[in-house]
Amino acid sequence: MLTLTTRLLADSWRGLIGWCVGIAAIVSLYLPLYPSIGGAELEAVLASMPQGLLDALGFAGITSGAGYTQASYFGLLGYVLPAVAGIAWGAAAIAGDEEEGRLELTLAHAVSRSRVILERGLAILIKLTAMVTLGVVLILAYNAPAELELEPLNVLITGFAQLGLGVLMFATAYGVGAVTGRRSWAIVAGSLVAVAGFLFNALGSQSADVEWLRALSPLWWAYGQSPLSDGWTPGVLGAWALGAALIGAGWLVFRRRDVGV
Amino acid sequence: MNDAIRVRGLTKNYGNHTALRGVDLDVPAGQVYGVIGPNGAGKTTTMRILLDLVRPTAGEVAVLGEHPRTGGAALRRRIGFLPGELRLAGRMSGRAFLAHYASISGTVPRHTAETYAERLGVDLSRPVRSLSKGNKQKLGLIQAFMHSPELLVLDEPTSGLDPLVQREFHSMLREARERGATVFLSSHVLSEVQLTADRVAILRRGSIAAVSTVDQLREGAVRNARIALDAADADALVRDLSTLIGVTGTRRVEATAGQSIVEATVDTHVDEFVKAVSRHRIHDLTLEEPDLEAAVLKFYDEER
Repeated sequence: MLTLTTRLLADSWRGLIGWCVGIAAIVSLYLPLYPSIGGAELEAVLASMPQGLLDALGFAGITSGAGYTQASYFGLLGYVLPAVAGIAWGAAAIAGDEEEGRLELTLAHAVSRSRVILERGLAILIKLTAMVTLGVVLILAYNAPAELELEPLNVLITGFAQLGLGVLMFATAYGVGAVTGRRSWAIVAGSLVAVAGFLFNALGSQSADVEWLRALSPLWWAYGQSPLSDGWTPGVLGAWALGAALIGAGWLVFRRRDVGV
Repeated sequence: MNDAIRVRGLTKNYGNHTALRGVDLDVPAGQVYGVIGPNGAGKTTTMRILLDLVRPTAGEVAVLGEHPRTGGAALRRRIGFLPGELRLAGRMSGRAFLAHYASISGTVPRHTAETYAERLGVDLSRPVRSLSKGNKQKLGLIQAFMHSPELLVLDEPTSGLDPLVQREFHSMLREARERGATVFLSSHVLSEVQLTADRVAILRRGSIAAVSTVDQLREGAVRNARIALDAADADALVRDLSTLIGVTGTRRVEATAGQSIVEATVDTHVDEFVKAVSRHRIHDLTLEEPDLEAAVLKFYDEER
């Protein structure tokens, strides 16, 4: 049972530790700073900055614990790290394995292509969940000492939204890799979605004229309604749904195409 | 007897490139069947279609009575496959590697992998990525053989193996045949197929140029002959041999003082050749093993 999932996890747990160290370092670097830079001082600094920059970086409301956590972690490296990891893993699992000539050997055994897609996808989902969960657990741990005053349930919801964004980038690379068998295309596709998601969100926040851009950004779907302060919104599911659709499309093509040519 | 592999009109296009153009193939169950051909002839594509890695453009395929596509994972459980370009990486040990493939393969009896590893001489405790090409190839062979499949599909199985290991591999092939398995193997060198196969198909530019038994191939092959004799007799021998049917390329090579060498190539008319030579007083005669390689090259050349 789940042989391919456990194999992938066994082959790559070392890399996962590195990513988790990164997440832990970022959370531990930013959140404990909140009591010392929050409040009146920070408001004075922010008042001196251009409003457009603040909007682009999602720094509105940064003076609250939720706003600070959102801007310093979820909206920046908490977005980038799972995205980069997801793209790398997604591109390697099918396309990379195929380019290195190993997928052929696996598929020549008694496994269906659907099983390969599902099991390896599950392994990557597990790894992304581990990364994101570590961040969430640390945030909850810092909540009281750093005076963030976060609602624990909202932290979980936001973590779920964060995981959805990581899953979307992974799914893009994974799906494109499954369709094309080319690792570089998979990486480019995943990176495009990640960068476009960030830019559309940032630009769309600049003025009412380009606000429609935000509607195209998975980052906006996930965080636009401020789940960390206001709780559940259906937008949290947007990245998840798109990710699932991309993997499904990849699966449809992968089932019928030639492998290893 | 059923055919383990039956292929009719198999065609495969990759975009504009045609890899296979109407291949017909019958591999009888219980035989070792070799397919030889130069690189790009379509050997690997044919094998990939049998394993459902590649889908044919046209034609019919039956492997152990089933279509590779509909047979799916259950069919592949009954097949052992060695890819032509085996690239193994990762820090897992050879033992973990084999255990993994055993878990997605047919049932592997305990200690089977270890037994094969001992026979072939590969250390299963070392990380796969640190193994030499030959040792990786051994792991590839073990994963193909270890679940005692009904059909073995082996793409260039001895590449990278030293002669002693090749011999062990040949005995593995014989054992497989003795337990009733069918072997379909490819090579670009004939000597390998010649040693192991009952039957040989020659694949050239995506179609079958010839199918024959190794014995038939031998009959069509030419032998190189070399005769040493007194220089004074040489011209007479050359004259005699030149009139014979089946003897070609007769020529005289000067050797040491007083002795000449006459060289010629002989096809199946060995009897006439030897009788003609025996009418002369000779010092030495060498008649080489038939050169099957040359016989096969004849098939390749006919195309040009």
